[in-house]
Amino acid sequence: MQGPLIDNLVRQGVSRRTFLKYCATLASMMALPPTAGRAMAEAMAAARRPSVIWLPFQECTGCTESITRSHSPTIEGMIFDMISLDYQETLMAAAGFQAEEARHQAMKENAGKYLLIVDGSIPLGQDGAFSCTAGRSNLETLKEAAEGAAAIVAMGSCASFGGIPKANPNPTGAVSVSDIIKDKPIVNIPGCPPIPVVMTGVLAHYLTFGTLPELDEKGRPKSFYGETIHDRCYRRPFYDQGKFAKTFDDEGARNGWCLFELGCKGPVTHNACATTKWNGGTSWPVESGHGCLGCSEPDFWDAGGFYKALSMPADPLKFVAVAAVAGAAVGVGVSLANRGKKSSAKAAHETTTLADLEK
Amino acid sequence: MSIDAIPIHVINPLPTEPGLTGNALPLLREISEMLRRLLETGETAAIDLSALPLTPIDLDWLREKLGEGEIAVTLQANGESTLNETACPGVWWVTHHNENGAVTSQFIEVSFVPELVKAHPQDVTVGWEHLELLISDL
Repeated sequence: MQGPLIDNLVRQGVSRRTFLKYCATLASMMALPPTAGRAMAEAMAAARRPSVIWLPFQECTGCTESITRSHSPTIEGMIFDMISLDYQETLMAAAGFQAEEARHQAMKENAGKYLLIVDGSIPLGQDGAFSCTAGRSNLETLKEAAEGAAAIVAMGSCASFGGIPKANPNPTGAVSVSDIIKDKPIVNIPGCPPIPVVMTGVLAHYLTFGTLPELDEKGRPKSFYGETIHDRCYRRPFYDQGKFAKTFDDEGARNGWCLFELGCKGPVTHNACATTKWNGGTSWPVESGHGCLGCSEPDFWDAGGFYKALSMPADPLKFVAVAAVAGAAVGVGVSLANRGKKSSAKAAHETTTLADLEK
Repeated sequence: MSIDAIPIHVINPLPTEPGLTGNALPLLREISEMLRRLLETGETAAIDLSALPLTPIDLDWLREKLGEGEIAVTLQANGESTLNETACPGVWWVTHHNENGAVTSQFIEVSFVPELVKAHPQDVTVGWEHLELLISDL
């Protein structure tokens, strides 16, 4: 199966229009111009499949679930089939010696060219004894596999930032991939779990352009993590109008108002949930009435309480009254002021309480 | 003198309907500009509606303002897609659904014919070969 991708898709009964439609949606999710879908479809249709080695380390398999448990058969799944997944402990039929042999063979045959996907953090405590495969520590395996990789994709918050294993008091001494590997391009795809289409988007970008997408300062693809949940939230207009739910069962909550005061971490969380949604586009946390937990940001588990508000708009009562008179202009002004607070809060990664703002 | 007697001209009135943010109105001007370019240069354009802070009510408002046109195209490809002409010819409302019926993306396309409706030359070639084969078998 070394032919162009479109031939493989056609063989599986995927028409060109289906593929075009998919690329239009993918381009939309990647925040590319609406007309980029066609260009992407053309480039991807002609792409050839790369070898991929997937190493699961200190993880819960939630990332693998997220990618593979999408209702089938989706094109996403098919594109995933288009890569040559040469090693994935959870998915592969082989076990033991054979499995390790397959990995070594793929690494040898595709030296310098394969894509390495890692999910889970790497424990450094007790010489890495907390997590081993085939009698070798994750640290050893990672270093060996990274050696010949063209690039590394750190899947999920654990591989990207250490995630839950790294949460205080970090008993295993867990670290991220980028804490260990310094000489290879690394893409972080954080999220607990990450959004499947982000993975597809990175693969699509790799297949289309032969390079990794543009990354932000935390190594995340800008196209998916460039904006905050808050920036793209459909409840954002209510924030701008100063309309907040105060409890999970009040009138505001029933009216679908902003969940900011109920601890939503949307303003400091960079991810694409607000646009891509979850479970085949069914819904996403805020749409289901719960604030964002901030799972795609470093140390989200220790960021000070899921139900504590990040900060409060200055004198909410007055704000509502003013907003009613002057409308959108004030809304934008306050939103800009909050953006300042947002970035300083983000920089310090500390929660700002009401008491802090009243000082 | 009662306050009603003072003539007040409201510029950009606050949206009265709950859920209407006022973000949809500027899109009409953008679409109008796109239509001008389409007529002058033939340049097609599109607006990605899922990339904008629009509430479902905003979308309904926009849809209602643009109205229904004469042509409605349905595409069955990995879920249904609808490409409907609005009351303004050249302005198409394109909605992609997945197999579950959820909207995956939504665009306003300004073109004489939407991209997806056109057949790809390669597909036409395959169809033509099929037809030739069919004729030769008769």
